[in-house]
Amino acid sequence: MGCSSSVPARSTGGLNTVNNDSSSATDSKDLRAKLVLLGDSGVGKSCIVLRFVRGQFDPTSKVTVGASFLSQTLALEDSTIVKFEIWDTAGQERYAALAPLYYRGAAAAIVVYDITSPESFSKAQYWVKELQKHGSPGIVMVLVGNKADLHENRSVSSQDAQEYAEKNNMFFIETSAKTADNINQLFEEIAKRLPRPTAS
Amino acid sequence: MGQAASYLYKDFSNCALRLGSCSPTAEMDASTTCSCVARRLISTGSIARWRILLSCLGQHYASRGIWKWNHPTRQPAHTAARHLTILVLVVNQLVRRISRRARGHHEAAAGEAAAAREVAMESPTSAASRPDFYDFLDRMRRPAAADLFRSIKSFLVSFSFHEPNAEEDGGKVQAFLTEMEGAIRDHPLWANATNQEIDHALEGLEKYIMTKLFDRTFGTSAEDAITDMEISQKIGLLQQFVKPHHLDIPKVLQNEASWLLAVKELQKINSFKAPREKLLCIMSCCQVINNLLLNISMSNDRTLSGADEFLPILIYITIKANPPQLHSNLKFVQLFRRETKLVSEVEYYLTNLISAKMFILDVNARSLSMEETEFQKHMESARLVTQISVASPSSSQGLPTSARARKEEADVAGSKFPFMDSETESLSPEEVKQLHDLYRQVVSRYTLLSKALTKLSIDEDQLLSSVDDS
Repeated sequence: MGCSSSVPARSTGGLNTVNNDSSSATDSKDLRAKLVLLGDSGVGKSCIVLRFVRGQFDPTSKVTVGASFLSQTLALEDSTIVKFEIWDTAGQERYAALAPLYYRGAAAAIVVYDITSPESFSKAQYWVKELQKHGSPGIVMVLVGNKADLHENRSVSSQDAQEYAEKNNMFFIETSAKTADNINQLFEEIAKRLPRPTAS
Repeated sequence: MGQAASYLYKDFSNCALRLGSCSPTAEMDASTTCSCVARRLISTGSIARWRILLSCLGQHYASRGIWKWNHPTRQPAHTAARHLTILVLVVNQLVRRISRRARGHHEAAAGEAAAAREVAMESPTSAASRPDFYDFLDRMRRPAAADLFRSIKSFLVSFSFHEPNAEEDGGKVQAFLTEMEGAIRDHPLWANATNQEIDHALEGLEKYIMTKLFDRTFGTSAEDAITDMEISQKIGLLQQFVKPHHLDIPKVLQNEASWLLAVKELQKINSFKAPREKLLCIMSCCQVINNLLLNISMSNDRTLSGADEFLPILIYITIKANPPQLHSNLKFVQLFRRETKLVSEVEYYLTNLISAKMFILDVNARSLSMEETEFQKHMESARLVTQISVASPSSSQGLPTSARARKEEADVAGSKFPFMDSETESLSPEEVKQLHDLYRQVVSRYTLLSKALTKLSIDEDQLLSSVDDS
């Protein structure tokens, strides 16, 4: 039962464990959240997640992970434990039509663009519109400008992005998967915004 | 029950009649088959199943012209008598079994469990799942489990009152599994059992039920069969010209050896009946891809690119594998795998294969970064090659032949022979390669035809001239 463990750990063992954790008997404080990653290819979607997942571990440990699906638990200050199940999507244009299969039922979506690429920013806006039209109602959406370490090549101003995010009722943050800047803050913010299950 | 028995008698008497008049050469063959059938029949006794098998057998032999109804032969009487003896034995056994079952006797339950064990032995299962299933069957055979077994039986029987409908059946199975989870948890046989033991029991139950209901629930609707065929044919065409770069697979990731492993895993999907085992094939395929990606990233010091790399490779592998009845298999797993197990990582990888299927179904010039004309040209020549190929692709299992033949006819009528009017000098290297492939197929076809002609002792020249005349 990985989801009840309080230490951050990847609970879903190997890929071939079809019998991974059974969903029974979860603590009411535990949240399971499907999180989908959208964004152009090459903006560093999976790097952000790898940073987040690996950052929780001893950096010397070699974690074998498939990079397209990752899960990670995060303990919040109010002692809620959120287990993120992170679904990556292929960012190339030819696979765009398949995205609805992935974001269906997602509790949160991270829309990533590269601050050095205006094209990736307009692609991000396309995804935001898509999610507003077809995403689950009440989905927590976050706009992420990645590669903040390359600020000398910046071509999307953070003010533009911030304004866009506010207009669309999204949380906005700039991250660097390379330096790990703001990575944990990103996931903590999502965790805080997730709707808590009503006590039943 | 009475009706079932009378059907049986009718089938058997038909069979006996046919056997009684079979020709001497076929006699041995028919006799072996018959006793084989009889033995299986005695050991399992699933009536409907064997009735179907017998009538199939009858049709099979009748179509081969072995049993000649209108020509009573000089078949020695004792052979016919022997067949009849076997059949009478079988029928008697069955009648006994039917009446026993009508009384709801425990022994019948044991018989059913034995049948299930046979099913288990038939399907090659992963080492991990076997002990679970046997343990489940063992417990089910105990007298204490009679109440559970009765609900399973009546659940299975309840299906015979309704027409097959995959979605509705799926809902019923899911509801039943949930209900049984509670029943097993509260059952004395599982008192103090760990969550894992209960889970194993449920896995066993799912496998048992779905093996029993397989013929009714797997790919039964006409639409499913059509979609399966459509996908399989489309993949057959794509196989011939889609290259990794069309799908954005970088050169550094191209590794045919690993891909072949993944292809093999995916192709195994029809070797299993239980949803969990079908799902395992998909998971193993994805695991091979993930291992490959991980190894490459470690040895080349390359950052993992997640789904940007994973999905294209999975699509390419799906095209290479042309997994049998892809649509039906996916639908079956989605509907009949226990809902609580179809979550998280498993759900993610299943979704990936579903999206690979979608991509293939909707494939067009744009999704392969080709010019429309180029795409059409590739599809056209691929169609031609498929049409000519002698052997059907190994993976096109379950493809209705009649539909395929119809399609071939239409294609032959609709297209001319390419390259007939082209100059040798104007051929591109790619066209030469195509021609070479065609040449190989023509030669192997010709060889086969010649062999067939010699066997039939028809003079080839004579045949050719007769064709010219007409």
